[in-house]
Amino acid sequence: MAKRGLRWYGPLAPWILLAPTLLGLIVFRIVPIGGSLYLSFTDWNLLRNPEFVGLENYKEAFADPAFLQVVENTLFFSLIYVVGVMVLGLALAVLVNRKMRGSNFFRACYYLPVVTSAVAVGIVWSWMLSPRYGAINLLLEALGIKPPYWLGDPAWALPTVAFIQVWKMAGYYMMIFLAGLQDIPLSVKEAAIVDGANPRQTFFRVTLPMLSPTTFFVFTVALIDSFKNFELIYAMTRGGPQNATNTLVYDVYLNAFVHYRMGYSSAVAYILMAIVGFATLLNFYVKKHWVRTQY
Amino acid sequence: MRNGKMPFLALLMIVFATVGAAAEDVTLQWWSWDVELKAQNEAIIQKFQAANPGVKVELSTMSTSEYWTKIRLLANQKKLPDVFEMSSGYIEEWAKEKLLLDLGPYIEKSFDKNDYYMSVFDAGKEIAGTGKYVAVPFALVTTVLFYNMDMFDKAGLAYPTDKWTWEDFRTAAKKLTVDTNKDGNTDQWGFWFYGRYAHVEPWVFANDGDLIDRTTMAYKPDAKAIEAMRFLTDLVLKDKSAPSKMAMSAYRQQDIFPQGVSAMWVDGSWNIDNNRTVADKKMRWGIAEIPAGPSGNRKYVNGWPDYFAISPFTKNADAAWKFAKFISGEGLDMKMYMAGKIPTYKSLTESPAFMDKGLMPANKDLLIKQAAKTFKTSYTLGWSEWRGYGAAENLGFNGVIDGIIDGAMSFDEGMKTADKNVNKILQRYYK
Repeated sequence: MAKRGLRWYGPLAPWILLAPTLLGLIVFRIVPIGGSLYLSFTDWNLLRNPEFVGLENYKEAFADPAFLQVVENTLFFSLIYVVGVMVLGLALAVLVNRKMRGSNFFRACYYLPVVTSAVAVGIVWSWMLSPRYGAINLLLEALGIKPPYWLGDPAWALPTVAFIQVWKMAGYYMMIFLAGLQDIPLSVKEAAIVDGANPRQTFFRVTLPMLSPTTFFVFTVALIDSFKNFELIYAMTRGGPQNATNTLVYDVYLNAFVHYRMGYSSAVAYILMAIVGFATLLNFYVKKHWVRTQY
Repeated sequence: MRNGKMPFLALLMIVFATVGAAAEDVTLQWWSWDVELKAQNEAIIQKFQAANPGVKVELSTMSTSEYWTKIRLLANQKKLPDVFEMSSGYIEEWAKEKLLLDLGPYIEKSFDKNDYYMSVFDAGKEIAGTGKYVAVPFALVTTVLFYNMDMFDKAGLAYPTDKWTWEDFRTAAKKLTVDTNKDGNTDQWGFWFYGRYAHVEPWVFANDGDLIDRTTMAYKPDAKAIEAMRFLTDLVLKDKSAPSKMAMSAYRQQDIFPQGVSAMWVDGSWNIDNNRTVADKKMRWGIAEIPAGPSGNRKYVNGWPDYFAISPFTKNADAAWKFAKFISGEGLDMKMYMAGKIPTYKSLTESPAFMDKGLMPANKDLLIKQAAKTFKTSYTLGWSEWRGYGAAENLGFNGVIDGIIDGAMSFDEGMKTADKNVNKILQRYYK
């Protein structure tokens, strides 16, 4: 029996071939990540050299109610996003998973926002949501409903931006769910129908459980993705009104490139990484319990 | 020739060549954030190079956000461009970090003070806070009251004068707030503003108030400043002659007045340029002084310079100074200034070309009158963070004012929040 443990892979040739990629990975990913960790313990405004300050940045972050508000916004945004894209993605996938004319066209349509520039999406949506002459408000007012200030009211701004992010990305998850749906053998569904299951029962008792590996994957990716909302916030609300749409990612940008507090923003970035890492680890732990593979 | 002489002659030739090369072909790096003026700036360079053979200037232009990040990185490596644009918002920080060449000796020896508005130089020295001249101001900007003449005519009101009080303003704003299509929503606002520095500070200073206590460098608005802020927020909350921030969230802020949504507006004089572009011939408009508050003595104006600074690490200080002087007045004409920016070089400002005859506003000489007053600003270290400027506009002090006029917090709650948040930031910079 070969000894289990960490051993270098012997032959040299693969290492040489991998070297360029590894070099790129190290220089552009590992080194900055490590550098950022070091920076998070310093105070650096770019004009002079970094000054070591220990845990000051982390202490400042956790003592700041504005920062805690940012964390709350981030988690709330993630909640809306993850639930939104999973439900909408699955719904769209079920809809387009038919062999009828036009389903390919609709698949492309739903996927189009995914590949559209987030800045363009943000700008056009903010026009549609504008209080005067915005398409959405004109429509609602014609129906007699008085619309809120979608992006100007602190209570509505975050859910609105989160909804637009869901709208933009649902197509991507639709594709993943589609692949998962098509992977379910028809014979299983036919067996269910033969056993007397109605469509609803088939969906919830047969399709969904068999879809669980895909669902797990979607959940993990959506969770990680939910923290990446910088472009939309930058294009639509710039973190406002009054911190209402300021999420951790935007806060990192604000502190680094607007306030020039490189040390503090690195600390915020690491707190973000800790949150995402923890959520992902939790997810993998849970996987053992609710993912059933068909193989 | 004998063997001994050849190497000696060769050595001489090399020495002459290098000394010769050092005596000519000085290359200066010039950094600017005025993307709209790129072509004009290149023309200025041609003029300078023609008048100064042996000196070459290379211009780098980029948008402000890119500019500041890149130039800060250069500062960190001690490799700044020889001449670079500097703003009043950052000059204090840069001066304190000794990243701007002390221009005192040059100003004393190779500079004619009569050619320039020295008051602007002194304002710059004060904002920089190190007691030295560290940059050459090439333009001054002030804040003015823009007003829509057509709307005033329709309402039968006389145009604002420099004798206007806040009561005059308030009455006019109410009369100019109109629901033109009678659908229950205001279509024309008498006035509009939000927490922006160029919207709030002019009123504070027009009442002789101050937001910052300069002796302790703390945020401590005096009673006159609070009176000014209450006056402004009451326009929205009580008089309803100005909108909430939420209601104006669809527009680019500088387009609201020239698009005819608001009859009056207070902001920087540099908006004259955008007003001309957006409003074109569709409306007649003018500029006036900010009305004086109950405690105001019409002495102060919210104005500040833009500068050119010289790198303290430059190897060509004399050439850089010559060039900085050239691009601050000597080498310029009015075409090279954005409309509404006031040259510090007297002969330009006092020339007929400054008046832009035939274009609005008809009374551009108001800016010259303003240039003679005392300038006040709220600039400090960390200003853009506590004030809420640019990408941080929805936060900071800006966000507090917005919150008050949006009804998210009462005036007193807002003042308490501002006190806590702003001072927390200021204490970090002024330990």
